[in-house]
Amino acid sequence: MSLPYLSVVVPLYNEEESVGPLVDLVRESLGEEYAWELVLVDDGSVDGTVEVTSLLAAADDRIRVVPLARNYGQTHAMQAGFDHARGRVVVSMDGDLQNDPRDIPRLLEKLAEGFDLVAGYRVARQDKMITRRIPSWVANGLIRHITGVSIRDNGCSLKAYRRELLDRVYLYSDMHRFIPAVAVALAGARIAEIPVRHHARQFGKSKYGLSRIFQVLSDLLVITMIRSFRDQPLALFAMGASGAAFLGIVFTLWTGAAFLEIVSWRAADMFVLPGAALLWFGLAVYLLMLGLIGETVLREERGRDPEPLPLVHESTP
Amino acid sequence: MTTTESAASIVASATTHEVHVSVLVPVVQRAAPPAALYAEYSAPLRAAGVAYEFVFIASPWRADMHESLLELTRAGEPVRVLEGGQPMAEGALVRLAAERSRGTLVVTLPAYRRVEAPAIVDLLARVEAGADLAVARRWPRTDSWVNRAQNRALHALIGGMARHRVHDVASGVAAMPRDFLLRLPLYGDFLRFLPLLAVREGYRVEEVEAPQHPEDRSARIYSPGIYLRRLLDILGLVFLVRFMEKPLRFFGMLGSISGLLGMLVLAIGAVERLVGEQGLADRPLLLFGVLLVVVGVQAIALGLIGEIIVHLNARRTPTYRVRKDSQHSA
Repeated sequence: MSLPYLSVVVPLYNEEESVGPLVDLVRESLGEEYAWELVLVDDGSVDGTVEVTSLLAAADDRIRVVPLARNYGQTHAMQAGFDHARGRVVVSMDGDLQNDPRDIPRLLEKLAEGFDLVAGYRVARQDKMITRRIPSWVANGLIRHITGVSIRDNGCSLKAYRRELLDRVYLYSDMHRFIPAVAVALAGARIAEIPVRHHARQFGKSKYGLSRIFQVLSDLLVITMIRSFRDQPLALFAMGASGAAFLGIVFTLWTGAAFLEIVSWRAADMFVLPGAALLWFGLAVYLLMLGLIGETVLREERGRDPEPLPLVHESTP
Repeated sequence: MTTTESAASIVASATTHEVHVSVLVPVVQRAAPPAALYAEYSAPLRAAGVAYEFVFIASPWRADMHESLLELTRAGEPVRVLEGGQPMAEGALVRLAAERSRGTLVVTLPAYRRVEAPAIVDLLARVEAGADLAVARRWPRTDSWVNRAQNRALHALIGGMARHRVHDVASGVAAMPRDFLLRLPLYGDFLRFLPLLAVREGYRVEEVEAPQHPEDRSARIYSPGIYLRRLLDILGLVFLVRFMEKPLRFFGMLGSISGLLGMLVLAIGAVERLVGEQGLADRPLLLFGVLLVVVGVQAIALGLIGEIIVHLNARRTPTYRVRKDSQHSA
């Protein structure tokens, strides 16, 4: 059996009602124009999703099921789908019918213009304002500002990727929210955006909420660190150490000024000011040592398992 | 790490028949006389017609125990006696024993009596029926209220922090395929958390109610050091289960709390200095605030180092497991 050109990856968690209509829509949208496969990743559903997907796969050999052993979360489900996808182009989308498979051909057209990743952004969103849209605006603004990757809608799962890009990116933790930023950071991907349709959830419950914003902040710090310092952790920690050392110097000067009676000097100052200066200097040394540990780990790991080289874009005609 | 196998055990090993079940007995503290333990727990296996071996392992052996086991091997019983080359925790002993065991299935059995012996056969039946891991749950509990209170507190703590519910992590009696045991990251004192680790890896874990052994009923009060070790084990488990892939969320949370508290303390001191004209440089408050900020930064920096390690290993370590039993799986 020849390999498909396009793999559509759909992570599913308790979507027994949605998955049937979703498969019909994908069939209708893609028709026979491309050789395609649909990779349905069951993320440890506890409803009848596995049974429904198995029946669908039995009836159509373009449908493949990847049943995960437990509920790992969307990032891992998506990575499992990418690992099992065989197409030269991969499209990811949600399984809750909020994305519209009719947008897939437009994503592929844009990808053919020479991009490595084409991200959809939802127009006329059908979500609740307070709990979904406002947190989404805040999160997208933070992601744009902190990562420097200007994507309007990081929360939209409808995206198209070249295989070469996915071979260079590995998703873990909760990175599905930052795929464009990760793709730029790890592979130097060229990214484009197109508007896509959005439908209100028809079945089941939303698995997202306001609380995610706090996790986004922590993850953003990690992405930024990976992007800026993944090859030079010592530089990251040296920056922190410089700040701590600067504060140590300030407190030392303060101590000196007090000793020379330029500022008021009391008996207790002999303990408090030098003590604070020592704490800052101690922190500086500690951070430098951590940076050295980071460098050691990096050299050790890179020696054992070299990271894939980033993508190369040739502009000569 | 080296492991020596008693020469006598080789003579008595089950080479004459294919071993189906290996019962692994790590001998650490509180060990019952091993010959009596063997007699009691091998009886139901023999009655069920199971081809078995018992693998006793210690590091090092107490002379009297070692001798009594060697007597069993000399008598032709399917008993093997292993000795770790270095002092090791229970988890490492079980792993070593599993590596040298011959059975397709293994049973872990503490070197003291926890459950009635026939429970082993029930556990094996569950594994034969498809469970990846069958663990004995001592039920109904007939032991002292002290034990039950401790047990309840332990499970409340584990259930709340690790977000998984197992009713009896301390029973230590479990059956599983040998390959499964060797696949799990088993080390230190994590043997008791085997069911939780297995659930985390997506394996099918079943609890089987097993009558509590009369010898397990007496009240047990441990030294403070043991309770401290258990707390550290739980902390390690929680980190493993919840923050292994995102260490910054754990260290960042602690660091942020400490750092924000420190900044609050410093802000209070600064306001008092500016408004109340109370000195700042001569007050321990300044030192305390700086200390909290420094500790906060240290914790966050540790989290970042953790993230670097996770990032570098992510591609190599599988972060999900696919079930193989689905009819149309990819």
